[in-house]
Amino acid sequence: MDAVTYPNRKVTDYCMERLVPLRLDHEAKPQAEEFLVKWTPRLLLLDSEGKSHQDQLGFFFPQELLPFLDLGQAKYLFNKDRLDEAIDLFDNLIKQSPASGSAPEAVFLRGVARFKRTHDPAPLKEVNRILSRDYPGSQWSSRGFPYWNL
Amino acid sequence: MTDQNLKWETDMKTALQRAEQEEKLILLDFFNPG
Repeated sequence: MDAVTYPNRKVTDYCMERLVPLRLDHEAKPQAEEFLVKWTPRLLLLDSEGKSHQDQLGFFFPQELLPFLDLGQAKYLFNKDRLDEAIDLFDNLIKQSPASGSAPEAVFLRGVARFKRTHDPAPLKEVNRILSRDYPGSQWSSRGFPYWNL
Repeated sequence: MTDQNLKWETDMKTALQRAEQEEKLILLDFFNPG
């Protein structure tokens, strides 16, 4: 990450402007035990109470890290029941980074957020339709399968 | 646009305080310096 991703200007700008970057040794106590760190790099997005809203193991190229960070911010809002704001972030991620590894999960969670907001099952059915059409090999396509018959 | 390199906090307590004050999430990167 140090050689390729963190020197990238877009990554640096994003992290410095929108996040609090924190770097800890993989054996740092008590955090390494708390988060069960067994391999690196390991990236998490935490809120101000130390709760994790996004968690991933392994290397990211810049073009994958930025959507990953967007997804984490959207998931934080989703987890806080700030559904309108979450939907906006999911929308932007899907539009700006449709080929990223984070996009299928954003499609799934956007549909769930829309359903939670209105209790109309149509957004869930759309989840299945979009994932089947645009991300057929994604694990999220399988996770959206039950909604095809709503 | 920042003209600085990425600057990391190295202390969880400081990062949590900043996250609350600045209303931001923390990007926590566990790394192996070896």
